[in-house]
Amino acid sequence: MALLEVHSLTKYFGGLKANEDISFSMEEGELVGLIGPNGAGKTTLFNCIVGLHPVTSGEVLFNGNDITELKDYEVARLGLARTFQVFVASGDMTVVERVMVGCFMLTRSRSQAKARAEQILKDFGLHDLCDYILSELPVASQKRVTIAAAVGTDPKMLLMDEVAAGLNPREIEEVMAIIRHIHHDIGVTVMLIEHVMELVMNISDRVIVLDSGRKIADGKPDTIARDTNVIKAYLGERYVQEHAAELT
Amino acid sequence: METLKNALDFSDFPRVDMTIAGLIAVFLLSFPLFPHSAFAMATMIQFLMFSIYGMGWNTIGGYGGQVDLGKSQYVGIGAYTTAVMLVRWDIPFWVSMPIGVCFAVIWSFIIGYPLFRLKGHYFAIATIATCLVMKDIFEVWNFVGAARGIEISPIKYVPPDFLRLIFKEDIYYYYVILGFFFLGILYVNWFRRSRLGFQLRSIKDNEDVAKSLGINVHWAKIKTYAIATAFVSVVGSFHACYIKNIEPEDTMSLEISILIALMAMLGGAGSLWGPIIGAGVLIPCKSYLKEWLGAQAGFVGIDLIIYGGIIMLVSAFEPRGIWGIVEKVRRRKRR
Amino acid sequence: MDILVSSLFAGLLIGMVLAMMALGLTIIFGVMDIVNFAHGEFLMVGMYAGLLTAQATGMEPLLTLPFAAVVGFLLGILCYFGFIKFLIRGPMVAQLLGTFGLMIFLRNIALLIFGSEDRALHHGILVDKSFEIGMGIIAPATKLAAAALSVIAFGAVWLLINRTKIGKALTATALNAQGARYMGIPTEKMNALAWGIGGGTVTIAGALLVNFWSVNPFIGILFTMIAFAIVALGGFGSVPGAFFAGLVVGIITEIPGIWDFLTYIFKFDWMADVPMTSLKYMWVYLAYFVIMVVRPRGLFGWKR
Repeated sequence: MALLEVHSLTKYFGGLKANEDISFSMEEGELVGLIGPNGAGKTTLFNCIVGLHPVTSGEVLFNGNDITELKDYEVARLGLARTFQVFVASGDMTVVERVMVGCFMLTRSRSQAKARAEQILKDFGLHDLCDYILSELPVASQKRVTIAAAVGTDPKMLLMDEVAAGLNPREIEEVMAIIRHIHHDIGVTVMLIEHVMELVMNISDRVIVLDSGRKIADGKPDTIARDTNVIKAYLGERYVQEHAAELT
Repeated sequence: METLKNALDFSDFPRVDMTIAGLIAVFLLSFPLFPHSAFAMATMIQFLMFSIYGMGWNTIGGYGGQVDLGKSQYVGIGAYTTAVMLVRWDIPFWVSMPIGVCFAVIWSFIIGYPLFRLKGHYFAIATIATCLVMKDIFEVWNFVGAARGIEISPIKYVPPDFLRLIFKEDIYYYYVILGFFFLGILYVNWFRRSRLGFQLRSIKDNEDVAKSLGINVHWAKIKTYAIATAFVSVVGSFHACYIKNIEPEDTMSLEISILIALMAMLGGAGSLWGPIIGAGVLIPCKSYLKEWLGAQAGFVGIDLIIYGGIIMLVSAFEPRGIWGIVEKVRRRKRR
Repeated sequence: MDILVSSLFAGLLIGMVLAMMALGLTIIFGVMDIVNFAHGEFLMVGMYAGLLTAQATGMEPLLTLPFAAVVGFLLGILCYFGFIKFLIRGPMVAQLLGTFGLMIFLRNIALLIFGSEDRALHHGILVDKSFEIGMGIIAPATKLAAAALSVIAFGAVWLLINRTKIGKALTATALNAQGARYMGIPTEKMNALAWGIGGGTVTIAGALLVNFWSVNPFIGILFTMIAFAIVALGGFGSVPGAFFAGLVVGIITEIPGIWDFLTYIFKFDWMADVPMTSLKYMWVYLAYFVIMVVRPRGLFGWKR
């Protein structure tokens, strides 16, 4: 039984078709990339799966449960976590407190939450940042902390939304290490939305491609890279025609 | 037991803070033993009362970031429950006060559920609306004395009466409210370290992220609102026995609601010491301004003009309050 | 039946004036997203302005409107540059409490200058005259004139917003301040203008209101809450919304009359005992609460 199954998911915002008839499934232990040009509906798909937006039609099954109608915090409690693409940390929470919020989903005890948070931060290599105030750290570190917070909820599956956006090559390496750690060592099933191709193509078992709300491809990274539909989506019809010879 | 340990654990505060807090605690404990005027004593009691109001407000308003401007309705519920029960059925304070808290908390759940569907300005104005509605109802409700209110005449009871909280000398009232004050601090300390406290702070930061971490935001807000309500209701009950004459205009007015929020904001919303500092500055300020300036003929209202001016200046230029300034300075030193 | 009709009509009349009063609040909110707790105090200032001008110069009270408008306009701009400009940089707690501080400030300055007694207008060509408008409705001339002038003023503001370049600039800033800036529309000036127009319209309403409602320094908060209810019902930021919502709220304030009518119809004893008159504003506050929970966008609102 697949860990996550999405059947014919469609989402309209008024007259705007954000996701149309999307279906796919994910087995436990996979690391799947979700790519597509801007506006393809990737974040909307995450939001619908997780319950932040209600779906217009279709269903989502997680771990055998129908989670289509559930609210986002209920979905999180079932073990499906997510991070956000855009956020601005405000306020005065420290790094360890931030991660503790996630850990508190599992326990009422502050000491247990703190111990777990510190352990996660240690595993991520962020332990020396523990007592710094989150909003004062550079964006790259903030992003890693929010991933740590999501991991704090001990999820079976984690949806990550553009964690590498705006990072320089060394920071991208650090994020990749964290993703590998989450995937291999902790055993979390991961789905990544990414634009940074070297990250997603190198790390994914499988890649799904969206364009204008529809799923246009689903397969191994090297197959996807040569798929004409995918190239058309990113580079346009003309490019495909002009380079037809190389692409076959 | 961990709850108690958490409440008593102040270890994450710097040594300096705890020393100052300790000194202030000693001062508060010994204040009545030094020569003092009745006016000073009354001001101190007011300070303690408003500190507790502010601490309660701070849970939902400061840590949670939900600006609640309608707390005075719960002052009223607490005060009137105690007063009515005493006057009609001779029920002592220590019984009527918890009952008042029950009524207040039940009411807070009832209106909290729809109230927290709103956010930001809309929420704040809605809290004002509920407060005004309650006040209007109490002003025409004969059972609670309508606009005249209820009077507790001390001659019917023999002071010092510890059961009904009727005393002739303020010193007794002082120590009772001081006791609640220390309990309040312990409770807020527990709150900010508890799961609910963390949930609230996360909500204040970013609600969507909080939800993605499994937090039922709506419910967390309602629970915290109930906590704030309980604080306010306890002091409201005390107020009835202390002032002995309560009416809707001075117990449940909008001014009191705003004053409560102001204590916390001025001192530093979202910090443990903030409301206490805020009350410590504003209450003596207000009392003494009124004494010196307000009573002079022809200058009616100058104290409030200055008071309004202070609010305006602080809101515009130092919205994080006094504690915010302290933290800013400390952060700069750390660099 | 007469009671019902006259109550409804009276409600409509006062509603038009109340709509005028709320107009300023909705414009300021639309452009700047700030809630002005001192709004009722501006109204109070307008009332005093109209009153004093009429009494000092012996002028016909209804002609004091332009003067009141100027006072309001200047007051609004002064508040913006002297205070609000700094306030909006801070967190929302501070903004709310800040305008509340302004309210206390203005109210007590008025108390200091004018004293606490009620003042009312007693001269003018329309005082003590009334018209009979069929169906047994007798309307005081002052209220009729106030309502009519409100509608005209409302129309003028609507034209300003929708048909002039500067009005469109205001709307642009309201919809998307940053986008408007890219078009060369200076947000700061638009904010100040919003406060100016907001202040000016509410003082006009005040000068109209003082013809049949006595003024003292403390009436501000009541009207602030009424204005909030109107703006919530009509939709924060919507000018036509403010007009229709004003009419509705005006009728709500006439609930005592409607209740008398219902008491007469249903003849239950307990109905006569309910002190509806004292509670009449409570219905306005309740209306605000219910509207916000059930339909926060209001009738015509586009902001959430």
